[in-house]
Amino acid sequence: MSAVAPSGARHPGPIPACAGIGLRAPHYRELLADRPPLGWLEVHSENYFGDGPPLDYLEQLRAHYPVSLHGVGLSLGSTDPLDRRHLRNLKALIARVAPGLVSEHLSWSSVGGTYLNDLLPLPYTEEALALFIARVGEAQDFLGRELLIENPSSYLQYRHSTIPEAEFLAEIARASGCGLLLDVNNVYVSAANHGFDALRYLRTVPAAAVKEIHLAGFSVNRYADGEVLIDTHSTRVAPPVWALYRAAVQRLGRLPTLIEWDTDIPALAVLLDEMRQADAVLNEPCHADVA
Amino acid sequence: MPTLPELQRDFVAAVFDADSERFPGEVRDGRFGGARLFQIYRNNVFLSLTGALAAVYPVVQCLVGAGFFDYLADNFIRAHRPDSGNLHDFGGELAEFLAGFPACADHPYLPDVARLEWAYHRVFHAAAPAFDLAALGAVPPEQYGALRFGLSPGARLIVSDYPLLAIWRANQPGAGDTTVDLGAGGERLLVFRRALEVEFKLLAPGEYALLDALRDGATLEHASERALAAAADFDLAACLQQQVALGTLTNTSTLS
Repeated sequence: MSAVAPSGARHPGPIPACAGIGLRAPHYRELLADRPPLGWLEVHSENYFGDGPPLDYLEQLRAHYPVSLHGVGLSLGSTDPLDRRHLRNLKALIARVAPGLVSEHLSWSSVGGTYLNDLLPLPYTEEALALFIARVGEAQDFLGRELLIENPSSYLQYRHSTIPEAEFLAEIARASGCGLLLDVNNVYVSAANHGFDALRYLRTVPAAAVKEIHLAGFSVNRYADGEVLIDTHSTRVAPPVWALYRAAVQRLGRLPTLIEWDTDIPALAVLLDEMRQADAVLNEPCHADVA
Repeated sequence: MPTLPELQRDFVAAVFDADSERFPGEVRDGRFGGARLFQIYRNNVFLSLTGALAAVYPVVQCLVGAGFFDYLADNFIRAHRPDSGNLHDFGGELAEFLAGFPACADHPYLPDVARLEWAYHRVFHAAAPAFDLAALGAVPPEQYGALRFGLSPGARLIVSDYPLLAIWRANQPGAGDTTVDLGAGGERLLVFRRALEVEFKLLAPGEYALLDALRDGATLEHASERALAAAADFDLAACLQQQVALGTLTNTSTLS
């Protein structure tokens, strides 16, 4: 590939404690041409495993903005062996992009070699906890760096789950040394779907382990006898999610916060507007880190 | 209580088998019954995979219509479940699948259209190593015939009995004239990348024969014999010069 920014020209690595946006293909050229002020960019790691134009655009943008990598395909919660090819691709991308943060999900997406391209829920049992801790450890050892693990949104729970999700995440972080990515929209969606208390969830997550926050919009599937919230990343952040975000920031302090928007992608200006709203919340006084 | 491997196998089986009743029994009834909650995942899996196919095959989708494409995708996904955590690897068998899909038998050009779109997709995401002219310069000319050049991962060849390029262009967003004479004859196409864009080039029979032979590992001598057999007036030097300029050939694995 051509036009790789010399490493000296790269933006310094750390992701700043302000808002950023998910980088999507329709915005590559506008971002490069206008270089609007924004805190940082996050990409889906797998979209850059190839060595074509997407990686070229990312490397050009990397010269101007900090970048974090967010994986959706590692299938950490699977009982299949970890996919070494996927890990090697991720490690090569990390070496090339020098991301400030690297994250994946508390979920599984494959078994028996079949991938469902979805973030599927784990049962929260001692068996699944031990497996997930071991797999995060294996991935972190292979990559030689810390992973952040994100809480999923979910539409079902299992009969035999025994551990509340926030405690499950806390134990993963404690035992594997990984960090956590708190997706506030996912907390809201799952709390609404399963009827748990989102604020209590926020209080249970180990504050010191959380190093990034995600915000996104959800859709509502309405039925004659009720509704289900679906985590579609296709709209603006909903008002109650902004309220929950404010509560999260008050407890956790200022953290890098991503606006995710992955389907029905809007004009860049809309993403930047959402980003500025997140920055406004981060800049309100009286957060934990100012006290 | 199922073990985790059992639960995951049951989950995947139930996603592909709407009649499977075993799995929802492990889903806790919530606001809705377990079977309905599980159906949300079944829908999400098929929606996202259908969306991934539509992103790679917009021209096929345009040709068959969105409704039929969903039906096609549903059948394809069941026959070719994704086997990679990288979604860009999914869907490569669609051309072959279309060729054997009875509902598409009246549209025999569809498999070639799918082949072209898959080539476009792979070329878009491929590395495109530079041709090493310096290394070539170090080879004595009398040894040129024994060289083996490869086709770049950023280049693919397609041969069809149909006017593929016209079909592709007529089904792009904003295309003006969408009439295509399917009897206009076949073509040989090179799909390659120039800078950040995927481009097509119509190949003459000799050019196609040369690149096809080089891709299959032939020496330059054998490849040029094949090209001359396809076109008596084939000009090897001009063709090589042009292909090196387009970046479709590699010599890094053969000369280093």
